[in-house]
Amino acid sequence: MSLYLLCKVLFSRKVVTALLLLQLAMTLALLLNSLLLAQQTQQQLNQPTGLDLDNTLLVQLKPTTAALRVYPALEELLNRQLDAVQAVPGVIAAAYSNQSVLLHGGNNGNIYVLEQQERTNVSTVPMYFVSKGFFNVLDSKVIQGELPQHSVSLDAPGSPDVVLTSSLADKLFAGTPAVGQQINRGRVAAVINDFYGQRSGDHIMYNSVQVAPPYGVDWGYSILLRTDPAQTESVRRQLASVLRNVESNIEIYHIRSLAEQHQHLYRNEYGLAMLLGVLSALMLLVTMVSSYSSTHFHALKRQQEIGIKRALGASKSLILLELLSENWLCTALGSMLGVALALWLNQALAQVISIPALNWYLPVITIAVLLLCVTVATWYPAATATRVSPATATKAL
Amino acid sequence: MITLTNLSKIFRTELIETHALRDINLQVNEGEFAALTGPSGSGKSTLLNILGTLENFDAGDYLLDGISVKGLSDAALSKLRNEKIGFIFQSFNLIKDFSIYDNIELPLRYRGLKASERKQRIEHALELVGLHARRDYLPGQLSGGQQQRVAIARAIAGQPRILLADEPTGNLDSLMARQVMELLEQINQQGCTILMVTHDPDQARRAGRHIQIIDGQLSDAVLYDPLAAQSA
Amino acid sequence: MEQFIYYLKVSFVSIKRAPLPYALTIFILSVGLGIFFANATFYYQLNSDPLPHKSSKLFFPMMLLAPYECTDCKPPAVLSYSNIEKLSQSDIPSAKTAMYSADGYLRKNAEQTPMPVNIRITQRDFFSMFDVPLLHGSVWPDNSARLEIILSKATAEKLFGRTDAVGEKLLLDDRHLTVTAVLDDWQMLPRLYDANNRNHLSPADDIYLPLETGYDMNYLSNTQSQTFDDTDYRKLSTQGRTGALNQLQYWVQLDTPTAQQAYKQFMANLAQDEKVAGRHPSEPNNQLVAMRNIVNYFGGESSDIKAFALVTLLFLLVCLFNASHLSLNRYLGNQYEFSLRRALGASRGQLQLQMLADVLLMAVFTIAGALLTGYAGIKLMNHLLPRNSLFSSWDLPLLLSLLAVAFICSYLVTLYPSLRASFGTLNQQLKE
Ligand SMILES: Nc1ncnc2c1ncn2[C@@H]1O[C@H](COP(=O)(O)OP(=O)(O)O)[C@@H](O)[C@H]1O
Ligand SMILES: [Mg+2]
Repeated sequence: MSLYLLCKVLFSRKVVTALLLLQLAMTLALLLNSLLLAQQTQQQLNQPTGLDLDNTLLVQLKPTTAALRVYPALEELLNRQLDAVQAVPGVIAAAYSNQSVLLHGGNNGNIYVLEQQERTNVSTVPMYFVSKGFFNVLDSKVIQGELPQHSVSLDAPGSPDVVLTSSLADKLFAGTPAVGQQINRGRVAAVINDFYGQRSGDHIMYNSVQVAPPYGVDWGYSILLRTDPAQTESVRRQLASVLRNVESNIEIYHIRSLAEQHQHLYRNEYGLAMLLGVLSALMLLVTMVSSYSSTHFHALKRQQEIGIKRALGASKSLILLELLSENWLCTALGSMLGVALALWLNQALAQVISIPALNWYLPVITIAVLLLCVTVATWYPAATATRVSPATATKAL
Repeated sequence: MITLTNLSKIFRTELIETHALRDINLQVNEGEFAALTGPSGSGKSTLLNILGTLENFDAGDYLLDGISVKGLSDAALSKLRNEKIGFIFQSFNLIKDFSIYDNIELPLRYRGLKASERKQRIEHALELVGLHARRDYLPGQLSGGQQQRVAIARAIAGQPRILLADEPTGNLDSLMARQVMELLEQINQQGCTILMVTHDPDQARRAGRHIQIIDGQLSDAVLYDPLAAQSA
Repeated sequence: MEQFIYYLKVSFVSIKRAPLPYALTIFILSVGLGIFFANATFYYQLNSDPLPHKSSKLFFPMMLLAPYECTDCKPPAVLSYSNIEKLSQSDIPSAKTAMYSADGYLRKNAEQTPMPVNIRITQRDFFSMFDVPLLHGSVWPDNSARLEIILSKATAEKLFGRTDAVGEKLLLDDRHLTVTAVLDDWQMLPRLYDANNRNHLSPADDIYLPLETGYDMNYLSNTQSQTFDDTDYRKLSTQGRTGALNQLQYWVQLDTPTAQQAYKQFMANLAQDEKVAGRHPSEPNNQLVAMRNIVNYFGGESSDIKAFALVTLLFLLVCLFNASHLSLNRYLGNQYEFSLRRALGASRGQLQLQMLADVLLMAVFTIAGALLTGYAGIKLMNHLLPRNSLFSSWDLPLLLSLLAVAFICSYLVTLYPSLRASFGTLNQQLKE
C-alpha cells in the first residue's frame, strides 16, 4: 500500500483525522512528561544517602510533662532510654540526637571559619547535638582526626568540639586539613564521610555534629538505632513498649526505618509522579478506545470498499496491513506533533514544578509504547473488517 | 479453462437453507464469450462469484486451468483473482475517494508492478475505454456509462484471462449499454474469456454462447455444444 | 411533555441498537470530567478566599529590622517580640494581632494522660479580625498576660464531653489555666493567617493562649524561630522579649486606602528611626502584603496542583475530542435514519428537540460517571498528596459549576455530530 494513497484516505476524513492527531499528540506529550517526572523521582530516591537505610531505625518522641524537659531530669531520661534500647537484642548501636537525619528542614544555622566569615559563610547547615554513639549508629568512617569521646554541656565554657561531614569540610577548608581549625560552632575535631542531612539546606551532605545533650526538646528529639539486619523487625516491634517502660510520660510521634523516612521526604514528588502515571495510563486507555472505535466505524463504513479491494486481489492480510498502517501513519504524525507539544508542556510545567528537560530516548520509548497500544487496539476491529464477504459487499442494492 | 463438476452451493441462515446452485457441470473454454441468463434469484450472481473465487461452494469441484481452487489459501486465491480474473459489477463498485487513475491502478499495485509499467497499462486501458481525458476525475463526477467504462478499464488493465461481468449494463440506458457491449466484444476478440450475466435477449444472442440457469440448475434445453452451434 | 418523553424513548432505542459506542462515549467523557473535577476541587478550594468581605483590608507587615548587614534581601519571614512592640504602637489599624503556634500537652488534672495539642499563641483582636465564632464565654479583654485559655469546640468536647467548659481548670504543660471561652466549629480554609511554611494547609489549632503568657511560659514556635544574635532561646520570657529572636507573625486591619497609605508611611518612619538608632544596619525593606497575596509571598503555592491542573485540562480536551469523535461516528451510523425521518416530514426543529433529548440523557449518564470518577480521583489524590486533604470537599457552588461543565460537555459532544447528521443535504444522504 503506498504512502500516497494512505495519506489520501487519512486526509479525506479531515475532522476525524485532525481530532485523532491532536489526541495522539496530547497523549504523547503527557506520557512523556509523566515519565520524566517519574524518572526524576526515581533518581532522587536512588541518590546515595551515605546511610544504611534498611537497618537503621528512627524513633521521634517527646516528654509530655514539662518537668522532664529540663536538665538534669532530661539528661537522665535520655540516658535511661538509651540504656534500655541498647539492651534490646539485635540493637548494635543506639544514640539520641536533637533531630533526625533525612529531614526537609530542622535545627540549622550558618557556619563559617572564624575570622573568615565573609569568604567561608555557609548559611544553612544542620546542627546535630548527639550522644557519642551517634557515629557508631551511622557507621561513620573517620576521614581525619578523632571522634569526641565525652559529652560536653553546651552551657559549659567553650563549645563542644565539632565533627564535620567531608563535603562541608571541603567547602570550608578547600582541601587543607580541617582538624584543629576553629569555626563558629567550635573546634573541628574530626571529619567523617557524608550523610544526608536536610533537604532544604545548602547541600544535602553538609552537616555538623557535636557530642552534647541538646539545648531543649521543644520540638521533640530522635533516638537512632543500628540493628542486626536479621532482627530489625523484631527490634522495631519492641521499641514502643521498651521506651514506655522506661518512662510513660512520652509521646512517640513515629518509629520508622530510614528507608521509610527517605520515602516520606519525597512523598510529594512520588505522589505527583504517581498521579501523572495514573493519568497517563488513563490517557493511553482513551487513545486505545479511540483507535478501536475509529477503526471499527471506519471499516464499517468502508465495507464495500474493502469488498472491492478483495475482489481486485487484495488478500486478508493485505487489508489488515492497510488498516493498521493507516493507524500507524496517524500515530507517527501525531507523535511528531506530540514531541513538539511535549516540549511546550515541559516548559510550562517547569514554571511550576522542578522537572528535567526532555532527552532523546524517552520520546523513542513512548512512541514505541503508543504504537504498540494503537496496534493492539486496532487489531481486533481491523481483523473483523477483513472478514467481510467480497460477494456481499460488491452486490448491487 | 473452467471446469465445474457437480458443484453445489447452499446458503444457510438461522431460518432457512437456500440451495442457490445444485449439481452444476460446466466447461468454459479459452476465448469464449458466454452469456448467462435466468430469472432473478436463480443463482447467476452466485455462480459468477464462485467462478471469481469471491465465494466458496459446498460440494463438487471447480478447476481453473486444471487446478482445483478448493484447497487454496486466502493469499493464493487473492493472487489468482488479481492475475487471472477481472470483475465488472452492475453497480460499478469504484472506490469513491480515489480518482479514476487511482481506481484503475489498484489491482496493478496489488500485483506489485513497477510504476512505469503500471502507468503504461493504465494509459492503454484508458485509451481503450476512451476516458483518457478524465483520468483525474472522481467517480462521482462521471455518468453511469463512463463509470462502467472505468470499471472495465480497471478489470482489463491487469490483462486477465477471464472477465466476469454481472449485469454490466443493468444500470445503464440503451445507448450506454450498447457502447459497453461493443467494448466487451472488442476485449473478447483480443482473446479474453468473458462470462456475462444479462437480462437482455439481444445481448445474449450476440454472445457466442448462451447458458441459462433456472432454480440453481443449468437448464438442459440450452445446454448445447458450442462447436455444434457455431457450425449451425 | 408527552412528546418529549417520546423523544427520550427514541434516544433510548437508538442507544440500545449500538450500546458499545455509547458506553464508550460515556466512559471517556466521565473519566475526562471526573479527573478534571477531582483536580478542580483542590484548585478551587486552595485558591478560595476564606474572608471575601474583608480579605482586602487585612495586611501582613514585614520589616527588615534585624541586626545583620544584608543587601537586597527579603525581610525575615518572622518578626521578633520587640519588632512587634514597635509596630503595635501605631493606632492606624482598626485591629492588630501578633501570633505564633506551639505544641503542648493538655490535661484536666495530673492523673490524666496528657493530650497533645496545637496552641495558637496570639492576642485579643485575632478573634474579631478573622471572624472566629464564639460558642461560650468571652475573649480576653486586653493583650496582657493571663492564665486563661480558649478552647476549640472539638477540644472542649474531647476533654469534658460537652462544649460549655467556661470556668473549668486545666493543666497545660503542668501549669494551671482557666477556660474563658469555647469557639464554635471553625476552620478557615485556606488558613491564610499562618501561611509561612505552607501552614495554610493545616487544620485549625486546638487551643488559644495569650501572647504574653506564651512568652512567660517559654513556648517556642513550632513553625520557625530564628535568632540573629546570641539570645538564648530557652530564656524566651526575658531575653526573648528584647533580643533578635524572631518567631512572630503580625496582622493589621486597614479599612481604607488612606489608612493603608498612612500605615506604609508609619512603617517607613519606623525603619528610618531604627536605622538612625543603629539597631539595624541594612537598608530598610518594608513590605505590606495583602492577605490575598500572602501564600504567594511565602512561596507556598501548591505547584503540584497547578501542574496537575494544566495536565487535567489537556486530558479533558482529549476526552472531549474523543467523545465527540465517537459520537460523530454513532450519528453517522444513524444518518440514514435521520434522513429518512426528514424525508417523512420531520422538521429541523423536531429533530433538534430529539437531539436535546439525546443531550439530556447523555448528560445524566455523564454526570453520574464523572461524579463517581471524581470521587475516586479525590480519594487517590488524598492518598498520594496527603497535605492537601483538607481541601477535598465539595460545596454547593462548586458542585453546581461542575454539573454545568458536565452538561456543557455533553452538549458539545452531541452538538457537532448531530448538526452534521441533520443539516447535511437531504437527498445526497438518501442516495448514498
Ligand atoms: N448471502 C446470501 N445469503 C443467503 N442467501 C443468499 C445470499 N446470496 C444469495 N442468496 C440466495 O441465493 C439465491 C440466488 O441468488 P443470486 O445468485 O443473487 O440470484 P441472481 O440470479 O438474481 O443473481 C437467491 O434465492 C438468494 O436469495
Ligand atoms: Mg444477481
